[in-house]
Amino acid sequence: MKKVHLAFAATLLGATAMAAPAHADVKIGLLAGVSGPIAPMAPPMIDAAQLAVQQVNEQGGILDGQKLVTVVGDSACNPQNATDAATKAVNIEGVIAIVGPYCSGAVLAAANSVTVPAGITMITPSGTSPEISRLDDKDLVYRTVPSDDFQGRALARTLLERGTDRVAVAYLNNDYGKGLAEAFKSEFEERGGEITAFAAHEDGKASYRSDLAELAAGGADTLVIFDYGDGAGLTMLRQALENGFFENFVGGDGMKSDAPIKALGAENLTTFTASSPVGETSQALELFNEVFKAAGGDPDAIFVTTSYDATFLAALAIEKAGGDKTKVAEALRSVSDGRGEVILPGEWRKAKELIAAGTDIDYEGAAGDHDFDERGDVPGAYALFKVEDGAFVVDAEMK
Amino acid sequence: MDFLEFVNFYIVPGLVLGSIYALGAVGITLVFAILRYAHLAHGDMATLGAFVAFAAVTLAGVPLYAALPIAMVATALVAVGIDRLFYDYLRERPRIVTVMASLGVALMVRSVVQVIWGVDAETYTRGIVRPENWWGIRLKDREIATVLTMIGLVLCLQLFLMKTKWGKAMRAMSDNPNLALLSGVDNAKVVFVTWMIVGGLCAAAGFFLGLNTELKSMMGWQMLLPMFAAAILGGVGRIEGAVIGGLVVGVVEEVSVMFLPSEYKAATAFAILLVMLIVRPTGLLRGKVL
Repeated sequence: MKKVHLAFAATLLGATAMAAPAHADVKIGLLAGVSGPIAPMAPPMIDAAQLAVQQVNEQGGILDGQKLVTVVGDSACNPQNATDAATKAVNIEGVIAIVGPYCSGAVLAAANSVTVPAGITMITPSGTSPEISRLDDKDLVYRTVPSDDFQGRALARTLLERGTDRVAVAYLNNDYGKGLAEAFKSEFEERGGEITAFAAHEDGKASYRSDLAELAAGGADTLVIFDYGDGAGLTMLRQALENGFFENFVGGDGMKSDAPIKALGAENLTTFTASSPVGETSQALELFNEVFKAAGGDPDAIFVTTSYDATFLAALAIEKAGGDKTKVAEALRSVSDGRGEVILPGEWRKAKELIAAGTDIDYEGAAGDHDFDERGDVPGAYALFKVEDGAFVVDAEMK
Repeated sequence: MDFLEFVNFYIVPGLVLGSIYALGAVGITLVFAILRYAHLAHGDMATLGAFVAFAAVTLAGVPLYAALPIAMVATALVAVGIDRLFYDYLRERPRIVTVMASLGVALMVRSVVQVIWGVDAETYTRGIVRPENWWGIRLKDREIATVLTMIGLVLCLQLFLMKTKWGKAMRAMSDNPNLALLSGVDNAKVVFVTWMIVGGLCAAAGFFLGLNTELKSMMGWQMLLPMFAAAILGGVGRIEGAVIGGLVVGVVEEVSVMFLPSEYKAATAFAILLVMLIVRPTGLLRGKVL
């Protein structure tokens, strides 16, 4: 009886294998924070990733002319959703590599419980927590965005240079907020700055006035907020402005969102600045900007360059690895190690030919060269942005 | 810290927050008392109400406070519809089935909000409103409106329950549904009236939450725990208890920051809920034991 069942199952399996097209699509997972506190940032990031996929498919496809497709999952910027979405992408959709998730906590959870055990390479375009560097990831987790360890320190130095030496720090109690705040604190204090209050807060509360009162009690007139501009950071900024707790406000990259401008009005944000990673001006960046603008995207939106690069790199690595998911990580390092023929954004056909010929290639992306260090990190450049005419403009470069 | 500072930055925000919790808790306590289950879609119905008011303000150009009654009526009708579609069908099954169904309804309502209005943070009015100084106490007009409307709505509800036929029927059903049925109370109508009231209160809670902060698709869900804590603290089934519970939870959350690291603020409602269930399960005003 058992044998009959087995035979039947085998026939079925054979039938499905035959029914499948000879060239199955090659899938990569795109774990985006579609809902949750960074939801407004997600659509341009997804568009940028889809642009890379579109270029691959227009220029000969991946591997043997197969189609590269993205499987979009919602990581909702929290660990549970990210784990669910990653599990679905890896186990059900059978993706070869993952781009995302967008939030640090989500990256850590998805990597620890799903992708690292499954041996899937993950490239996050926006998970910036220093914790990700410390992850025991068997060399499978990469990012195209610099660690917040750099950003926190750069922001601390910039503030001190501008003569702000007493600040209060409020940070969101998650991997992102905490990592950034701690990097900031250590550099700020080391260089002689004084932090009068340093407090975490939870997301999603209706009132932060008592938190703000405690923060203001130290007497600093500058509040540094490491939070999301569409989440608690916005509520906090509003209540601090309305009640006059602080005069100046400084945010990290999460605060560089259009939500504060839309909700509070640019006229109320004259003393608000936010730091954010910027692409160093390069031929690659110009190339990307041009194409992305032509496709109807906004190249100045946050994390679009890193998102594009992460996706393009994933495609290059899959091509180089010949579609073998166990070799993707190794291939990823080899296509971006600074050695070989330079490949710029969009040059898929050229890259494909070179890989086929066995030549070394080196991708230089819109956001940077992406020469990953041993922890899968990239160095970065930052700028401080201020609000002018209802949009963020660069106020100063940060070193 | 002087006394005025304490009032301005801890007590006033606590009372405003508490009024919003109270509006939600009154609805939760009514469902508990009359229908006898925990309604987990309460927070997301509040979100829906807030966004209906948002649509009225932005699309139809309705004045801000006039949007409140519109949202209340609309959400009340949705609440009745949800009851007809999902809960009514499960009335004879064990209560836990309905509780789980309400969790599903919560996710559906939230998704509908996200599909229609998106996931960006929205506000009723652009810009910021600075508080006015009333003899040293700093209040915004919307904060005064929040507290006064809460008190007004609860007084109306109390009068309705005490004086009208349907109010008395609701109380009868809360005390003993079988006896109420035998005495000729039409259960279906009582359920209808209950959901109308609960839906309206949900919308009011959502509206004032949105007015005092921003509108987000997760806003109601995140208020669910403090609202339940308030309902249980006050005594399940007791309207005035829910109000007191809401105000206590709101003020304790704000004041807790003085004594605890601020990341534990969100846990205060949990702590109140736990302590109350252990020490005095009937709540402050001796409600039902669950």
